[in-house]
Amino acid sequence: MKIQAIALNTFKETIRDRILFLLLFFAAVFIVFSRLLALLTVGDRVKIIKDVGLSSISLFGVLMAILMGTGLVYKEIDKKTIYTLLSKPIHRYQFILGKFFGLVLTLSLMLLLMSLVYLIVVFLHTFQIEWKMLIAIFFIFVELLLITSVAILFSCFSTPILSSVFSLSFYLIGHVSWGLETLIQKVKPGFGKTLAQIFYTFLPDLENFNFKTEIVHDLPIPSNIYSFSLLYGIFYTLFMLVLAMLIFRRRDFI
Amino acid sequence: MKIDVFRAKGLSSVFLAFLLILTCGVFMGLKLKIDDITRNKIPGASIIYIPSGKYLKFGTFGNPSLLADLVYLWAIQYFSTYTIVDRYENLDRIFSIIAELDPRYLDPYEVGAVIAYYEAENLEMALKILDKGLEKNPDQWIFPYEAGQYARFRKEYELAQEYFKKAMEIEGAPDFMKRLYADATFMTVDYKSSWETWMEIYQTAEDERIKKIASNHLYRVKAAIDRRTIRRAIIKFHEKYGRNPSDLSRLIRAGFLKSIPKDLDGNEYIYDPKTGKVGTSIIPWKR
Amino acid sequence: MTTVLKIEDVHKTFKTGFIPKKIKILQGISLTVEEGEIFGYLGPNGAGKTTTLKCILGLLFPEKGKIEIFGYPHLHLKAKERVGFLPENPYFYDYLTASEFLRFYSYLFSQKKRKEKIDNLLSLVGLEKSADLQLRKFSRGMLQRIGLAQAILHDPSLLLLDEPLGGLDPLGRKELRDIIVRLKQEGKTVFLSSHILQDIEMICDSVAIIVNGQIINQGVLRDLISEKILFTEITLSGISPKELEISGECVSDQGGMILLKVFDEENVDKVLELVHSREGKIHSLIPRTETLEDLFVEMVKQR
Repeated sequence: MKIQAIALNTFKETIRDRILFLLLFFAAVFIVFSRLLALLTVGDRVKIIKDVGLSSISLFGVLMAILMGTGLVYKEIDKKTIYTLLSKPIHRYQFILGKFFGLVLTLSLMLLLMSLVYLIVVFLHTFQIEWKMLIAIFFIFVELLLITSVAILFSCFSTPILSSVFSLSFYLIGHVSWGLETLIQKVKPGFGKTLAQIFYTFLPDLENFNFKTEIVHDLPIPSNIYSFSLLYGIFYTLFMLVLAMLIFRRRDFI
Repeated sequence: MKIDVFRAKGLSSVFLAFLLILTCGVFMGLKLKIDDITRNKIPGASIIYIPSGKYLKFGTFGNPSLLADLVYLWAIQYFSTYTIVDRYENLDRIFSIIAELDPRYLDPYEVGAVIAYYEAENLEMALKILDKGLEKNPDQWIFPYEAGQYARFRKEYELAQEYFKKAMEIEGAPDFMKRLYADATFMTVDYKSSWETWMEIYQTAEDERIKKIASNHLYRVKAAIDRRTIRRAIIKFHEKYGRNPSDLSRLIRAGFLKSIPKDLDGNEYIYDPKTGKVGTSIIPWKR
Repeated sequence: MTTVLKIEDVHKTFKTGFIPKKIKILQGISLTVEEGEIFGYLGPNGAGKTTTLKCILGLLFPEKGKIEIFGYPHLHLKAKERVGFLPENPYFYDYLTASEFLRFYSYLFSQKKRKEKIDNLLSLVGLEKSADLQLRKFSRGMLQRIGLAQAILHDPSLLLLDEPLGGLDPLGRKELRDIIVRLKQEGKTVFLSSHILQDIEMICDSVAIIVNGQIINQGVLRDLISEKILFTEITLSGISPKELEISGECVSDQGGMILLKVFDEENVDKVLELVHSREGKIHSLIPRTETLEDLFVEMVKQR
């Protein structure tokens, strides 16, 4: 109940944030602009529209999650609105969860809007509604859940600029960590290798949520990967949220 | 010292820490499981659309050579990923992009051709890449040289000949280029040009070693010419008499040959009446 | 009389700067607040008043000491449900309207008939006309009032007010004082920190004085300030200053109007007799007792 109240309030807060509409505008522009890009290509034109569209949704979704998430907790502390809030009979973890769910609600709405624009643009070119795209978008959403939790985590103890840098780094690392595996294979077996392997397993692998290419090119996807990827996303997000709760527990508000 | 009396009712730190380790373990385990599932896709797989290099340059905001490097690096990874089975479809397009972005970057031409020839087993593609290389870098004899080699391996001697000629004419090309040209010419059964070129090489050679090589080649060319002449005569003899001549002098008596040609050293050729084959008494390289 | 708030030997140290430098703000604070009283927490700026309040509310965690509210450990939810807090210079969510804001907070308590309660509350603090105005457009005084509204939203038994009278105009200060007194009459306990002594003196029952992180004096106000009359100020006319010299100190003489500072009650009677016999006029007579300010200054001087 209390988490719900905070979540709804956060939703109101973020929905009224002007930066949101700027990004939404750009996303729409990109998706429509893909039409123009299609003219420059050699080959199948519809595929480029699909790919640019999905990538735009992903990119702008991440930007929204980071830009808003990193300010969420920090703003409350900076503007001291947190004083009256935490003096109420609520637990600090309820505050964190409330902020998280509020932002997730906002991002869901934004994602929905972008998807709508995307499907319409694709429809205008193929005269089909490609429902399969929604699977790719759903996993973009899962990725956004994780990124949001990371942004909130950093927001608990860092300024928005630093938090954004850290969150962005998390995102970038998440998309190249798969390459570490090939590197590790070349290392001689031993303590160093095991350590590297543990480190590699711990690093986020955001490629697990990336079904964009496969779905656009109609490649076969093994069915069990969906459930595993979803669980991976949920547990990693949980991990980040628990970490945020731990850090936030004993934080002094000077 | 933290006071336990201050413990708020709700989630204790111990519980949260436990939850932390639990979730960490779970997601790490899931990751290992996911890694085991082979996916058909590797980033950038099955590219169906590729923007042309010309337009791509605009997106680089003044760093076309950097993008060329990046695309090149990516291409090397991409082409060494064996699970992408149709990766050669766009080989020449990809390399032409690199060429557009940074035409003076030499490695990609060579490596692209190597991949095309050895892995994709596509001579045409390899030659196309090397042609582009030469077009953008007319001072690089290495490109037509390699093209000529590839053609030669595939026994496309006319092509090889063309390429070696091109290479030969570039300033700074090493001497052996001429020899390769001559050899290729020989293989196209254009013995005349071959003989002329080898003679030229023989006469202009400053080195004993090269003179020797040239003379061996000259031997070979003469041997080939002579063999051809003799073989033609033998065939005519066979047509008339229904059998091979017992020895080559018969050919003169029958009027098919004016004289029995001798090899470059003045030795006679070896003739086997049973098979009708003509061979050299020694192997040219062992002279 | 039940103890509403009990603080025992609370210490709080801050570590600031890149190379952590320890600053000890609270050096063993102890005090008790009884039910139904208005408790004044005084001290100069930087003494640790706000820090103490934050410790009570769980915004800061002291490294040593114990705090109890209504007998519960201070972080217990049951304790927090009965506490209301108004911070100094309150900031609130500027994108919400007044009623949205109160509505949000009301969801953090289990409450019924929310709309009614919120409307009543807004009229109580005089903001019924601004119910649908965004908080970003509120003036300082209005923010203070909405702040008070959110503090009493859930009908708390203990109110913690951090410098509530600062920055208010005289009318605002009077209104707030009246509200605080009314809350006391309703049976609530009010704990307010301030450095404006006149207001404290007017409404508080007990006080504690904190200087440099330590409580140097606390107790019932009437007990601390003696009823003893220090001197009497008499404004009179019709008598020449020379004649008054023996009785008191002539503070000012403006066109016949003399302000006289008289020590000792006997001298007051003498002056009165003199005026009466000479047919002069007494314009005012004000006995000056020890004020809180006097006490305060003396305490601080002692340190």
